This record gives sequence, structure tokens and C-alpha cells, in this order.
Amino acid sequence: MTAATARNERKVPSYCYNCVAGPDFMNVKVIDGVATEIEPNFAAAEVHPARGRVCVKAHGLVQKTYNPHRILQPMKRTNPKKGRNEDPGFVPISWDEALDTIAARLAAVREKGLVDDAGLPRVAASFGHGGTPAMYMGTLPAFLAAWGPIDFSFGSGQGVKCVHSEHLYGEFWHRAFTVAADTPNCRYVISIGSNVDASGGPCAVTRHADARVRGYKRVQVEPHLSVTGACASEWVPIRPKTDPAFMFALIHVLVCEHGVGQLDLPFLRDRTSSPYLVGPDGLYLRDPDSARPLVWDPVAGRAVPFDTPGVQPALEGRFRVAAAVTVDADDARQPLADVEGVPAHTMLVEHMRKYTPEWAEGICDVPAATIRRIAGEYLENAQIGATIEVDGATLPLRPVAVTLGKSVNNGWGAFECCWARTVLATLVGALEVPGGTLGTTVRLNRPHDDRHLSVAAGEDGFMAQKFNPTDKAHWVAQPTGRNAHRTLVPIVGNSAWSQALGPTQLAWMFQREVPRDFNMPKPTLPDIWFIYRSNPAISFWDTPSLVETIATFPFTVSFAYTVDETNFFADLLLPEATDLESLQMIKVGGTKFVEQFWTARGVVLRQPAVEPQGEARDFTWISTELARRTGLLEPYNKAINRGAGGVSPLTGEGYDFSLDPTRTHDVDTIWDAICRAASTDLSQGRETHDLAWFKEHGFYTVPMPQRSWYLTPTLAEKGLRYELPYQERLLRIGRELGNRLHEHGMHWWDTQLSEYTALPEWHDVPGRWEQALVDSGAKPEDYPLWLLATKSMQYHTGGNVSIALMREVAQNVRGHAGVIMNANTAKGLGIADGDRVEIRSHIGATYGKAVLAHGIRPDTLVIPGQFDHWATPVAKDFGMPSLNTVAPMSLELTDATGSGADIVRVAIRRLEGSTVQ
Amino acid sequence: MTRYVMSIDLRRCVGCQTCTAACKNANATPPGVQWRRVLDLETGEFPDVRRSFLPTACMHCAEPPCAEVCPTEATQKRRDGLVTIDYDVCIGCANCVMACPYEARSIVHEPRFAYGDQPIASEAIRFDPSRISVATKCSFCKERIDAAAASGRIPGRDPEVTPACVNSCISGAMVFGDIDDPDSAVSRLLAKTQHFHMHEELGTGPSVYYIWDHA
Amino acid sequence: MKPNRPPLPGQPAPRLQQHWDWRAAGNFICGGSGGGLVLFAGLAGLTGAEVRPQLAAGLVLVALGLLCVWFEIGRPWRALNVFRHIRSSWMTREASVALALFGAGALALLTAHPTAQALAGLCGLAFVYAQARILAADKGIPAWRHARCAPLVLGSGLAEGAGLIAVTLAGGLQLAAAAVLVLALSARLLLWRRYLDGLRADHAPAASVQAFDAIAPRLVRFGHLLAGGLALLAAAGALGGLPGAGIALAAAGLLAAGAGWWFKYTLIRRAAFTQGIALKHHPVRGGKPASLASTPRLGNA
Repeated sequence: MTAATARNERKVPSYCYNCVAGPDFMNVKVIDGVATEIEPNFAAAEVHPARGRVCVKAHGLVQKTYNPHRILQPMKRTNPKKGRNEDPGFVPISWDEALDTIAARLAAVREKGLVDDAGLPRVAASFGHGGTPAMYMGTLPAFLAAWGPIDFSFGSGQGVKCVHSEHLYGEFWHRAFTVAADTPNCRYVISIGSNVDASGGPCAVTRHADARVRGYKRVQVEPHLSVTGACASEWVPIRPKTDPAFMFALIHVLVCEHGVGQLDLPFLRDRTSSPYLVGPDGLYLRDPDSARPLVWDPVAGRAVPFDTPGVQPALEGRFRVAAAVTVDADDARQPLADVEGVPAHTMLVEHMRKYTPEWAEGICDVPAATIRRIAGEYLENAQIGATIEVDGATLPLRPVAVTLGKSVNNGWGAFECCWARTVLATLVGALEVPGGTLGTTVRLNRPHDDRHLSVAAGEDGFMAQKFNPTDKAHWVAQPTGRNAHRTLVPIVGNSAWSQALGPTQLAWMFQREVPRDFNMPKPTLPDIWFIYRSNPAISFWDTPSLVETIATFPFTVSFAYTVDETNFFADLLLPEATDLESLQMIKVGGTKFVEQFWTARGVVLRQPAVEPQGEARDFTWISTELARRTGLLEPYNKAINRGAGGVSPLTGEGYDFSLDPTRTHDVDTIWDAICRAASTDLSQGRETHDLAWFKEHGFYTVPMPQRSWYLTPTLAEKGLRYELPYQERLLRIGRELGNRLHEHGMHWWDTQLSEYTALPEWHDVPGRWEQALVDSGAKPEDYPLWLLATKSMQYHTGGNVSIALMREVAQNVRGHAGVIMNANTAKGLGIADGDRVEIRSHIGATYGKAVLAHGIRPDTLVIPGQFDHWATPVAKDFGMPSLNTVAPMSLELTDATGSGADIVRVAIRRLEGSTVQ
Repeated sequence: MTRYVMSIDLRRCVGCQTCTAACKNANATPPGVQWRRVLDLETGEFPDVRRSFLPTACMHCAEPPCAEVCPTEATQKRRDGLVTIDYDVCIGCANCVMACPYEARSIVHEPRFAYGDQPIASEAIRFDPSRISVATKCSFCKERIDAAAASGRIPGRDPEVTPACVNSCISGAMVFGDIDDPDSAVSRLLAKTQHFHMHEELGTGPSVYYIWDHA
Repeated sequence: MKPNRPPLPGQPAPRLQQHWDWRAAGNFICGGSGGGLVLFAGLAGLTGAEVRPQLAAGLVLVALGLLCVWFEIGRPWRALNVFRHIRSSWMTREASVALALFGAGALALLTAHPTAQALAGLCGLAFVYAQARILAADKGIPAWRHARCAPLVLGSGLAEGAGLIAVTLAGGLQLAAAAVLVLALSARLLLWRRYLDGLRADHAPAASVQAFDAIAPRLVRFGHLLAGGLALLAAAGALGGLPGAGIALAAAGLLAAGAGWWFKYTLIRRAAFTQGIALKHHPVRGGKPASLASTPRLGNA
């Protein structure tokens, strides 16, 4: 390497946002025009919680750029037949031909109408994980906005792979689309299946490492000793899907054994609905005149509206209320006189009385003493009464949190877990205060980058909520998307993100079969389907069946990196300039996913560190061309001017960098305007920086107060309460939804309606999977083990399975060679480490090597990531098994939010003739 | 005097392999050659199990057995603590591989690339034929340390002259610096923590300190 | 469990070394036998016997071993660099002793002078010793660095040499050869036993011990007891002038040498497991009473 000094070496600032734990800063080292290394960007050390560092995935971006398997020119399919055994016959075409083909198809759609006879958008689009594709798709969102209705309901993993119920209920209860511990200030975390050290990105890893050294305690409750479990202080190997029972028992210990005297009384009284009086029919007793919920005023000895000035309502007891009214579904009002009113807290205490640690022990396989100890430690560490100075304000310090992981907080049982977690926070006053349980972003409410601005007064002293209507006049009886999110899931709302957060598996399932009493238009196929950074044929469930559905789509356009299992059925492949080759600006800081609460906010630029390979084109160029060729240039440019590029509007107070809507602008011109607008907006007019400045400096930030991490002070300012613990509104909405569905003769969603309860009951959650086996004609005893998936930092949402470096380094992490199983279970089945095994569910089988370990329950198997590729180069030779191959899509296993848990009942056996290599 | 050492805080490490990947890119090592890697270790039996992550690489020993056995003097112990290999002198006998108790050394006898026989651009531009059929290992990013002497910057403090793995570590597990300087970050950290060397009973005097608890 | 099976991912299990193959084993086999043979040829030469064929054979064996190594090293055309580190490298010393050995051997072959032959013999001994020390210095392989390994390798080289010389000697020296062989075998058996006991006592990798246990019974039975018995028979035959003594001695010698080769092949290829990884302390991952949140980092203040 002696010639290095003579070489032209430079470092190009950029970002990685390959997973929702981003964005993270990085520099690309370029030698003589070739990217060779990814390095931290230490210039960002002061503003970035991970001090300018990126995780392992980003280090694969060099190979991602030069991977010889990349699609490097537009391709069209020549074989009209689509099937797994049909060679697509992709042949190269020009960009002109590709774009004209799409434009002609789109024009035909506009001609026919943007929605079809079933009321469904004719254009559908599926983008990958958690909004991250938007961080790479340049101005495509502006084109989509210019287009009109698009169906985003063909999920690539939403609902089945995300923390779905947490998104929905979290945002409902405390504007917490994503929930995290206030790790920098926390001292005790009960982490139930949360794999934050694998999926929380550099910011979470940095913060938890700091916290460990500081001495915080994390108790990891999960069936398999994950990376995060490994880094925890204690591992509690709980039986899969019994987490609600464990958490109910924790609540029992707090409210029934320690009692209200040891809890955070002011918080419960003033910030929650704990004092609201509940009547005999389970509904709030309301003031007969104003319909406001009543509380018991012990001084006056009578019930008064909750917002009566100066009242210090009772939390416990049973009280006679002289006159009240209840409001049930469909506004059915019932006047009541001399009725017993019970504070919601007492309702909770009485409800939880049966859920003792001894009861939970039999369900969870966790000793009662352990549960009791953990509850006690949680209470003790909450330091109720302590305060802390933050940004000059004195706030409560409650350094305890409960975090939940995938499959705990989605699918059946997730509602109970999310509820229990949030109740645990409220009991000790640790919700949205320093040290406690925090939300880190909003997606169903607006604005996306400021949770506080999304807080507005709603009914009953709670935050305003934007539910999908369930009243007779407004209920959306005919779905507007193929997963029927507005029709079936009130809580998901109807923001830009809501559709993709609907019951996405329904969109896939209903293409094959609808329930007998479906009584809605049979969902149609979209005329055109766009896919980007998404491979549902691998990342969804029952992938063999899904592939058959995808093959029926009439016209599919894939922005393609390599051939993969989904775009194998595409009609057009378009190569976009990838991470190191393209230009885009995104926001950083503010509230973001996972543990991305920063003390700065601003913007960061991704820029071409190297020339695009082959014919790959910048996404903004592609989007502009699509707009131009479909005659949508003007609305497209206007959308950019409005800020659809994802950063700031191009006009604001004292500045106007807007683009001429009638002209075609090149990529640099568009982003130069966005750069200027963003910097001017952020600095409130003090500084304006152009694209050239950003190319040199990479990012621009302004301080963000730490106080904005915490929502409770904002609720206190507005005099609002968290809608906990009692779910009167959900109960009512569920009844209304049931009324609507039943009026239309639809009963296929009745099981889901059971989730709408005021106080969750334990139902046999694991038993649902056993019952599902029976209902599909299989015998539960034939599938004696639980199969779970676990996240891999090396691969998680990276779309990087064809990157050789990731494969190599991932092999150092347990499980990346196959399926992890308990060594003693394996011994009993005659399986040795490295043996090739079959993992079979009632719908199929997946194959891989056995990886024996002791850090896993004897009744559980775990497969990291999602593999079983058959088309993606490199990955198709892995021989890795995948849960997705054997996990059924099942209405029966879909919860009320429309999500399912990543868990399957399976059997495992050694393949005959298998020899250890 | 100066002696460069590395501390690795095992309390922080999450086994993510970011350092492994950063090292592979920084040093352009071929597939299968990992100058450093993080081991994923399990001890105990269900349910009393511990899983730990242990980054390993060349320990840049004070008494390097590899240098002792090297018949060519290609492996040298420098005065600043680095154990180096002169690729132009090494004969690839592998005696050093046998002598190293840390499995830190590799020898590959033919060019290897990430995607088949041909190098991709990032590999081609840095392909170094002198590394074929000779022993290679972690060099503590020697070129950076050498650049520090020229630029006056301080390894362990200034990223440009600090090993790539240390820079990359997202958990902040690694600290690099001069242990003979009592004010260096690494000296100060080691003073307030409990640490061990791997296989210290072999008398190799490793320069890598594994931190496991506070003092 | 197959000894060369990879450990569980990340398990701290020792791994079989993969860099020295049959060629390296060949050097220890040929070098040990050759050096031993030259030693005993040189000693036999002191009696005035014609030992040049044995000397030559010994030198050829050593050369063959070194040729094996030459084929093994990555950069054979730089082989002369091997002489650069006489200060501490036993591999440099082995190569240097080899030069002396070939010099003395050439002189002995040319002159047939007993002193030259004895000098060559001493060089042969030194060569075997150097080889034993190469292994002893390899700290990465517990089975090699064990204090009892080098004496066994040396002892085996001598037993192989004694065996090979016994195969080739005739007449009056047979009795002495048989006696020497019995002594050498006894010594090697003792060293072998002590070595295995030592490996166990010092917790050498289990796979190393397993590899040796797999050959131990036959190695002892055929390579030592049978070989020793035949040598004793030969000695008795030589004393009593019985026919077949030579054949018994040759058989004993071959068994002795063969056993040494088997042992060394096992040592280099089958039992050479690495040290593995030791995690002396589990990291303490939080959970201790500490200062905790009483001194949190605050925002922009």
C-alpha cells in the first residue's frame, strides 16, 4: 500500500438510515473515486447520542455499491407467465422505454379512474421497514402525493413483524408510537422480549452500555437469551406468550400487596383516570348535565365532575352517587340515581386481585418469588417523590421502566401487555417523566416530529384522539384500502401511516379467500404495484402462498437492487442509485423511533460519495421523470414546495426558495432549494446554507431541550390526563364497531371485538395457537415446540442479505447458521450441533442447521432474522431456515389491531443422512 | 516511553461485530480473514446461563511468542508496543500461528474476494499481493500510529490516528492509548476498573486489557 | 465427536490447527528419524564399523523432511530468510544445525573418519533437539508447549534412530543395537506415559488427549512392548548365535520407528488443538447499587 500517499483520498459525510433506529452519521472514505470504507463522522459527536457512529450494517454499504449482482440497468420481463418455476426472462431496456411503459400504464389508470369498482385504489405500493425507504426515495413521496389515492396495505411485514399494538395503543395512551426507557436516567428496566441491543441502533447501544457501567439493572424476561438478554443483569426465561400473566402479577403485587399508599398518589389522582367513578354497567358515571365523568370528593362527600377546581378525588372506596348518567355505544344514555360509583383505581385493584404471582407461576413458568421480587425492586427503584432538574425545570424523577419486544407487543396478548406496561408506569408515576417510560415518536398524530404539538384537549379530560369513526353516520362501511383499516380498526386512525399499519395480512389473505359473511366488495388486484426496499415474499408469513398471490399481480414495478423473491415476479426492474450514490436530505433529532431522543435536531445530507454504478439513477431524477411523463409535473413540484421531500416547506416566514412548478428541475436544483429552506427554517432565518455547504459539512442542527423528551409536563400544562387504567372509551368503541359489523351481517371479526375491554382479563394466549391447530385439522401434540424469531443487528431491515461481508461477520453471532435449540431438548431428539434439521408446522417445513445452546427454554426454538431465500444472489446459498416459511396467515390469530405475533407451533427432527460437516 | 494498549470493556460489548466489519474494511482483509472478531460465548446450563461477548485480536504482547519463534525476524516487537509483520520478509512458515495463544494470525495462499474470482472495485483498488502467503494480523492500525508521530496527533484521542475498531465501536467498549502516560484516557480508565488479560499465565504480557467491573 | 469438528459458534473450544499439514508432520517424522539415525551411525562408527550408508540414509531423511517444509511454506523463494533469527527462533536454529549436519555429514561420508562421523552424529542429535524445541516454543498449542512434549519428541527421534540403525546393522553390533533399542524404547515409553499424564494433569484440551488416547494402546503394544520384546529376542539370539536374530531386530527397529512416526503424525495433525479462549471473569452488566440517576447528564445546560 505504498502508493496510498499519491492517491486522491477524501471523506464524504453522509448518513445511514437502513433501519428505524437511525439516522446515524457516517463518513464515506473514497480513494481515487472508489468507496473503500465507512467511518464514523466525529464532527457529529456532540449532537448525536451515538457520537457520530454507525452500526455494523453501514459498514456493508461499500460492498452494497459494488456488489456484482446488482441490477444496473432497467430490465423488463419477457416471460408473461409468472411463477416460481418460470424464468422471468429479464432483458435490459433503456430508461426511456422503462419510464414510458410505466407512464402509459399510469395514464391508462387515470383514464379509468384512480379507484376501481370496489372502491380500491388501482395503484398500490409497498415499501419496506418502518418508513425507512422514504429516507432513500428522494422526491418519490412528492410524486405519490401528486398522484392521489394509493393502496399501501400490501404489507411487507407491518403488523406481523413490527411492534404493532405498541404503535397503536402507545400512541393512544401517551403519544408513543414507539416506547423506550429513558435510558440515560433510568436505574431499573423490566425488558420483556425487547431486543434493544440488537435492534436499537447505535444510540440505544451506546446509552444502554453507559447505563450498565453506571450500574442500572435490566431484567430480561424472554424465552431465549437474546443479545439483549446477554447484556442484562438477570434473565427470566418465561414461557412464550405468557407475558400478560407475568405483568398482571406485577401489577397485583403493586396494587394488592404494596397498596395505594406506596404508589404515586398525586400522579394517579391528577394525571390519570384512576379517580373516575365507574358505574355498575362498567361505564363512567357522568355528570347528568355536562356528561363529564365524575369523581368522589371526600371533603364535600359527594361526586363532582373530574375537573372541578380544587378537588382532591378519592382513589379507593365505594360511593353512593345521587344522580349520574352513563353513555354507552351509539350515544345510548342512561340516567341513574343513587347508584354505586367505584373509582377506576379500586376497579383495577379488585380486577387484579386474582392475578397473584402464585397464579402466574403456573402459567409463565416463572417462580412466584421472582415475580414478587421484581415488582418490589421496580417499586423501590421508582424513588417515588424524587425530583430532578432538567433544563431549569424541576421534574419528577422515576427511574424505572418496562419495555416490550416484538411478539410481546403484537398479536394476541399484546393489548394486555401494552396496557399492563403503561399501567405499571402510571402506578409509580413513571410515565413520560425523567427516568421512566417514554414515547419517542408519533406517526398516527401530527406533526410527526413534535409529540407535544400533537397534544390537544379531547373529551373526558383526555388527549384528543383521531379514531376511525364507528358511529352509524360515519363508519366506513366500504373499505378504501385492501386491508380495510378504516373499517375494522378504529384506533389506527387515518393518517398517512395508518393504512400501512392496518391489518396488512388481511390484504394478502383476502386476495385468496374472504370469510363467508364478508359482505363487502371482494378486494381486487391493483392495476399497478410499486415495490421498493421491500421483499414481502421473504419478510411476510406463509411465504409460499404469498408468492402465488404476488404472481397474480398484473403489473409490478420494482425499484430493484438485485433480483429477489418478490421482484422475481415483476414486469419492470428499475435500478436506483443506492446509499453511497444518491442525494437526499432528511431530518435528524427531534422525536424519532426507538431511543432516538436527542438534544439537537436538524437535517443531514446523503450525497453521492461515488458515481452511480451502471445505469442506476438518483431517485429524485426517477420521480421527476415519472411526474413529467405522467403530466403531473406541476402538482409534483407543488408537493415538493409544500415539503413532501420530507424536510421543510420551501416557503416560510421570511424566505421563499420554492421551485417553479411548471418546469422540470434537476436533482441538485431541487435539493439545493430544500437545503436552503431547511437551514433557514431551523435557524429561524439566521443562516441559509446551500447544497454545496451541506456537501462539505454534512449536517446542520440546532439545540433541542431535553425537557421535550417528556410528555407529562405538557399534559400537566394543559390539565389533561392519561386514559389509564380504565378503558371505558375502548369498551364503547368496540361495542359500536360490533354494532356496525353486525348491522351488515358480518360476524367474522367477532373474536377480535373481544379485545375491547375496560380492564383486560387473562385469556389463555398460548392456547389460541393450540386451538388454531385444532381448528385447522392438526393435532397440537404433533407440534410440541414454540418457534420464535429474533432480530439480527447485522441484517435487521437492511435489505443486505446479498452483502458478503454481513454474512461473514454475522456468522460470529450465535444462530446465524440455523435454528437455535436447547441442547438437552436436542439430545432427547438425537440432534447434534450442526445437524441438518427440518422444522415443520402444520402448513409446511423449513430447513437448516441445528445450533445448540443452553440459553433457550427447552420448549422453544429460535431462528434469527428472515431467510430461506431462493432468488436473491448470495442469500439463496445460505441454507438458512425461516420462521416466515412456516408461519400461517390466520384470521383466528389476528388481534383487534390487525396484528399477529411472530410465533408458530412446530416439530423438529434430524434429517436422515445428515452429517456434521 | 510509550506503550500503546487497548482496553475492552466487556460490560459494554454487545457482540454486534461493528468492529469486525470496520476492521475488515479498514484493512482490506479478504473473506474469512478477521484480524479481529467478537466471540459469542455461553457458559452454564439452562436456566443458569451466561452469554458474553469477547472481542479478540492480536494482543500485541510485551513478550510476543510469535516474535520469539519467527525465524525471519519478520515479526517484530516495536518500542511503542506494537507487534508488526514485515510482509516482504515473512516466509509464511506459520510457526508464529502455532506460537500465538490467541489465534490472532492468518495466512491465505491465494487471492480471495467477496464475490468469486474477481475483485470488486473496492477490493481491486486495495489489493496487496505482498499479503499473499505470509502471516497477517491486527496491526493496531500501524499506519495511523505512524502518522501520529509525523502529525503530532495523539492515538486514542484523535480519531485519525486511532485504530479503526476503536473508532467504530458503538458501545464505546474500546479505549486506546499510551499506558505509560498516566493521564491518557486508557490509563485513567484502567485505574478505576478491574480487568484481566487473556491467558496471562502464559507470560505473554498482552497489551489488551479486558475490563469486567469497576474497581 | 470428530476432533476436527468446528466448535459451537463462539464457544471457547480449542480448534485443531489448520496451517501445518502432512508436510510439516513429514519434517518432524523424517527429521527426527534422520537425526536419530545419524546420531547412532556416528556412535556405531566409533567402533570402526562401516556406517556411511546409514549416515547417508539419515542425511537423506533429514533433507526429505526439509524439502517437505520447503513445499509447505508460503514463500519458498525467500526460504533463506529462515536464517535471520538465531537469537531466539528454534526454527532458525534447526535450519542452522541442518547446515552443520550436512557439512559434518559430507565430511564424514568423504573421509569415513570416526571423528567426523561422531561429529555428524552430534549434529544429528542437535537437529532432533532443535525440532523438539520448535514445538516447545509454540505456546498456541498446549500439547506442544507442555514441558514433557520436547523430551518425548527427542526421545522418539532417538528411538526411531535406534530402530533404523538396528534394521541396518549386522554382525557383532546387533547385540549392542538391540540393547540400545531396548533402552531407547523403555525411555520413550516412560516419556510417553509421563507426557499423557502431564497433559491430563495440566488440563490440556480434551480433544488433544482424546487424539492420543485413540492411538495409545496400539502404540504401546506394538511400538514398544512388541518392539522391545523382539529386540530382547534378537539380543538373546545374538548372544546364543540363533538364526533369525537379525530379522527379529529389523522387525523391532521398524516397529520402533513406525511407532515414532505415528506418534508424531498424531502430534502435528490430530492432537494440535489451540489454546482456546478463556473468559476469566464474566462482565458485570449493571445491577449493582451505584450512583445511578442521581447524577444524570442533563440537556443543553
